[in-house]
Amino acid sequence: MIFLFIALPLVVAGVLPLLGKVSKRVLPDALANAVLLFLLVESVLLGKQLAATGPFVQQFSWLGEPVNLRLALDGFSLLMLFAVSLVGLCVGIFSIDYMEHYGSKANYWALFLIMVAGMNGLVLSTDLFNVYLFLEVAAVASYALVAFGLESDELEAAFKYLMLSVVASAFIVIAIAVIFGVTGSLSFPAVARGLQDLDTKYVVGFCAALFIMGFGLKAALMPFHAWLPDAHPSAPAPISAMLSGLLIKVSGVYALTRIFFNIFGLTPALSAVLMYLATLSMVAAAFLALGQKDIKRMLAYSSISQVGTIVLGLALGTPLGIAGGLFHLINHALAKGLLFLNSGSIQQATGTRNLDEMGGLAKRMPVTAATNLVGSLSIAGVPPLNGFWSKLIIIIALVQAGHMGFAVVAVLASVLTLWYYLLIQRKAFFGKLNERWKDVKEAPFWMLASNVILALLCIGIGIFFSLTIKTWVRPAADALSQGVRLAFDSWGM
Amino acid sequence: MVLQILLLVGLVLFSVLAVLLKDLLRAAISLAVASLLLGIIFFRMNAPYAGVFEISVVAGLITVLFMLTIALTKGGETAESKAASFAFPAFFVLFIVIDAIIMKKLIQKVPALPGPEEAGTTFGQVLWNARTLDLVGQIAVIFAGVFAVLALFRKGDNKDE
Amino acid sequence: MNSTWFLYMFFTAVLLFTGIYCLLTMRNLIKLFIGIGVIGKAVSLALIATGLAKKSVLAAQSLVITYIVVEVCMVAVALALIINIYRKTKSLDIRQLAKLKG
Repeated sequence: MIFLFIALPLVVAGVLPLLGKVSKRVLPDALANAVLLFLLVESVLLGKQLAATGPFVQQFSWLGEPVNLRLALDGFSLLMLFAVSLVGLCVGIFSIDYMEHYGSKANYWALFLIMVAGMNGLVLSTDLFNVYLFLEVAAVASYALVAFGLESDELEAAFKYLMLSVVASAFIVIAIAVIFGVTGSLSFPAVARGLQDLDTKYVVGFCAALFIMGFGLKAALMPFHAWLPDAHPSAPAPISAMLSGLLIKVSGVYALTRIFFNIFGLTPALSAVLMYLATLSMVAAAFLALGQKDIKRMLAYSSISQVGTIVLGLALGTPLGIAGGLFHLINHALAKGLLFLNSGSIQQATGTRNLDEMGGLAKRMPVTAATNLVGSLSIAGVPPLNGFWSKLIIIIALVQAGHMGFAVVAVLASVLTLWYYLLIQRKAFFGKLNERWKDVKEAPFWMLASNVILALLCIGIGIFFSLTIKTWVRPAADALSQGVRLAFDSWGM
Repeated sequence: MVLQILLLVGLVLFSVLAVLLKDLLRAAISLAVASLLLGIIFFRMNAPYAGVFEISVVAGLITVLFMLTIALTKGGETAESKAASFAFPAFFVLFIVIDAIIMKKLIQKVPALPGPEEAGTTFGQVLWNARTLDLVGQIAVIFAGVFAVLALFRKGDNKDE
Repeated sequence: MNSTWFLYMFFTAVLLFTGIYCLLTMRNLIKLFIGIGVIGKAVSLALIATGLAKKSVLAAQSLVITYIVVEVCMVAVALALIINIYRKTKSLDIRQLAKLKG
């Protein structure tokens, strides 16, 4: 029942504030994490089912009449569901301890589960307007979560995020309206067929431009990235992890890729535009990350840069490039989630995010330092961690397709990434122990547990990368490579 | 048709007024009037449900929320940039001219397939049967909005369990 | 697509321009909300106009109703943020919020 992915978090979210009156901490924590664990197990089981039958569509009936609740599952959707539940569960475990001093935990969990439900709904829907709707569901929940601490800079960051997001949503809906006007329908198969039948080059170009502006802003692709460096640092650490690790990928990269590959069909022009924008993100954000003093702001710019890498791999369009992009998507979700959670541990222990004020924390917080090292090296692309393999695949794909220039730029960006991550390591963890921190303690149990789980995943996926690619990434890449045919065959009306 | 064009011009006019007026309360009322005109436009386009929703929710509920916020933030008045208000008419006219030229050129250039067959269905059927997932999404976004407002207006609760 | 659709799209574009201009140049936070309201009207008009052109006004209406519900929730969250910002900083000027640049 793939509808459970949307319905279960929603129902539990609705019930949580009532439960929160009864038991303020234990019951909401346990219930929310149980839901996330259930979704994770369910997504693995669905993976087995998918491997047996191939992409499928489920239609539901209500009281005997078939209602138009069609949810489609293919490799790409499954990969995103798996990533959302996995990172969501780890962030959830972390939040058990971290959100203690924010108060109103039941409300936090409710908004968190609504955000997860929105992301799941986006990934499973087969209708353009539903994609927009669930995108907004996740976005509205995220505005409140970014501002959750009610401090001045959190509120301001949430407000700016909201402003820019609204413009993006407007562009997306207008593009959807134009597509509805041209093809007379909103569901993926009908739109794909309609666009094939008509001669619609300019209309597709116009709508593609609107979608790039709208979804590009959600994905923080340059030059539409302006909200991210303010929003992600100010949010509470687990929410920064969810936003950087999941939301920008689900509402930005997934939606864009799904529409461009399976509905419009990737043309050389689209591919070129996306590759240039992706390279711009990759390089410019890496340079901007170097000059940051705030650890979370550096991580935020790094997210922009890595999303550029992901889109570069995807936009290439070759099966190897798509596989590399998708693999990097899931690697980055894990590693960036880990890094933001670590920054939360540091912030809770020392009260600061300023790199110049930290120093030598490895002596007092060894586990946090070790997991941070794993996460940093993973994103920087150091073997044998997972990030190395995904970046390697993307670079090989670029070389194979003849884009030498892009490949060289990608390698340079990787070097930059390694540099600023080592900078974080040196400034925050190694070096002389700053006098102020001689009494800090290691982070509490649940926070450490989630960090260790994510670090182990990074190492494990790095070692067993071919197994991961075969089970998770290959079906997703196949679904995308089929292009418009997927819309006709598997989701056919 | 002429009435429709007049209503549309009125809609744009009141929206522009809402943006340019200095007094927040008058701007909110101007926006409400624009919503009213849009609702009437919807009625004349054979979209009564959208018209009712537009008038009652946007012209009603959102305007009330605006007034509430304006009342709760008395004393936060800021001086708007005069240059922006002066420059607006120039940009506006320029945009209208470009827009009209582009729209004229595009007429007959955009191909179209026929839409879904709608003879014999009622609005209820469309909403409940054809677009059911939208309803799930609406419930989700309403939850999100309600919990968001609850979270943002919470009193600090310090002693738990 | 008949010329009526283009007429409505013309007005949609004008409203969008007005809304985006408001977001770019206005300083008071509540004024920025008016810009968002104007953009919302533009989008609703575009949706219903497309429905009219395709003779599927019922489907377009359900889309618009859903969109308006989303808009209301978003406006509620936004105004909650504005009220909290005012309580913290006693100011509604967006230039005061620019200190996050860096």
